[in-house]
Amino acid sequence: MARRAPAVAVGVGTLALPPLLSGSHLTVYILLGLAVMVTVGLSLLMGYAGQVSLGQASFYAIGGYTAGLLSVHSLPPVLGLLAAPLVSAAFAVVVGIPLLRLRGHHLAFATLAMQLILLSLVARADWAGGAIGLQGIPRLSVGGYEFADDISYAYLVWAAVVLTLLVARNIVASRPGRGLRALASGETAAAASGVPVGRYRLAVFALSAAFAGLAGGIYAFYLGYLAPGSFPVLLSIEYVVMAVVGGLGTLWGALVGATAIILLVQVLNTLGTQPGMPGYAPSVLSYAVYAVLLVLVVIFLPHGIVPAVRARLTRRASSGAV
Amino acid sequence: MTEPLLRVDGVSHAFGGVYAVREVDIDVAYGELRAVIGPNGAGKSTLFNLVGGQLAVRTGAIVLAGTRVDRLPAHRRARLGIGVVFQGARIFRGMTALENAMVGAHAVTGGGFAGAVFRLPVHRREEREIRQSAREALARVGLAGWADRPAESLPLGQQRALQVARALCGRPRLLLLDEPAAGLRAAERDALARLFEELKTSGLTMVVIEHDVAFVTRLADRVTVLDLGRVIAEGTPATVRADPAVVAAYLGTGVHA
Repeated sequence: MARRAPAVAVGVGTLALPPLLSGSHLTVYILLGLAVMVTVGLSLLMGYAGQVSLGQASFYAIGGYTAGLLSVHSLPPVLGLLAAPLVSAAFAVVVGIPLLRLRGHHLAFATLAMQLILLSLVARADWAGGAIGLQGIPRLSVGGYEFADDISYAYLVWAAVVLTLLVARNIVASRPGRGLRALASGETAAAASGVPVGRYRLAVFALSAAFAGLAGGIYAFYLGYLAPGSFPVLLSIEYVVMAVVGGLGTLWGALVGATAIILLVQVLNTLGTQPGMPGYAPSVLSYAVYAVLLVLVVIFLPHGIVPAVRARLTRRASSGAV
Repeated sequence: MTEPLLRVDGVSHAFGGVYAVREVDIDVAYGELRAVIGPNGAGKSTLFNLVGGQLAVRTGAIVLAGTRVDRLPAHRRARLGIGVVFQGARIFRGMTALENAMVGAHAVTGGGFAGAVFRLPVHRREEREIRQSAREALARVGLAGWADRPAESLPLGQQRALQVARALCGRPRLLLLDEPAAGLRAAERDALARLFEELKTSGLTMVVIEHDVAFVTRLADRVTVLDLGRVIAEGTPATVRADPAVVAAYLGTGVHA
């Protein structure tokens, strides 16, 4: 029962917040939910399957453009939203077959290169709006209901967060999840136990892409406008920082890490745009904060926030019992 | 002569032009406990990795119960019934002993991502069966009381036993063990010997690769002796021990048998 308490508190808070938030805070809240979705997938990929992707924003972009392009060409927006995770996952499978032969740093750089290539291709693609961007994406509507105001998007996003967390949790606590954790710990021993290592790597890569794609699709309808500049490499790095800060291999870590980073970036952004600050202050501050935060976490909380808190609680519980 | 469970047929393997295993033929009968012994560098671990699928077989054939397996990846061989216990302690860190054993069930189960995501009834039943069979496997190797401990917190002897439990969870027809007694204390070694005797009584076929001659010759039905990548002797423990070629191969390392 006590184990469920944090989940219940987070759930109630999530539902109660949107009407209480003002315009710009509500936007942050929505973007936070989207970031959590991407980070859950990345945490699964990094923490459970032992793979690093520095190109996760590409799948976010692909999901966004899929939803945007389909609905701009007057298909029902809900189809665009459903297609977003599928197209992202399909793309991950196609690039994953060659890329996943790589390991560790090589894979990280290859996914980074993938994103750079994708961004420059999109910037040249006139059918996708090119460098100027894709405009006039309609609002999402399902059946007769149109997601018109920000509050409706806030609820949509957080419903999607719950969906991704449920999917991820169900996988982690099952046969394929155990296979993934096993292969992250030792590929040879996992394969010898019957785990199809290559297929599992590809599946979790595709799944993480699907989560990012779904988030991207919602983003497209929420903003109504997409450009290559919306998906910089820094965004991919941000997701990695969120996953690491929160704690890899814990799904709550994705939520905590994304929240910590987004709030911090907001504070710094507010600080950087104070009157009297130079024009470059916001971007310098945000780069600096990732760097400093990542270094601090790696030094002081090498497993991330959530595992550190858990360990402390366990220690307190056991010392209290003695 | 009846078809053996495992047939290693003319298998060779070279590392950079040096043969580690050269034209090795070994037949292991159903229910047999076969020891493969030899001095350091004899090619024992290479042979283990060739049969288990950790090394690619380029020359020769490996047949399990009439099926060629030498072109198959390791996870497919596991599904066909080759269970392996590696040298040292290749356990999965960050998982409990029970979860480690449950991974072994991959070889005999098929539930995928979709079943897990939607928690289908067939998935729930399979999960229950996997948990049950993992608990039985842990009990069989004497780890019933360790199920919920993190695997890496177990002492070496127990980690070795956990690897056996993991392999048993895949219901192998052939259990392949690479130096299972290495580094164990006398009591752990005796426990391991008792476990092998029990597994043998249950009808499991085992190939035990061992440096420690005394440990395996006590248990084995037949012994194969490798030296410099070749089979130099094969037979019952008594005949092998008396073989002059074997004594010569072990001279300098000392025969304790």
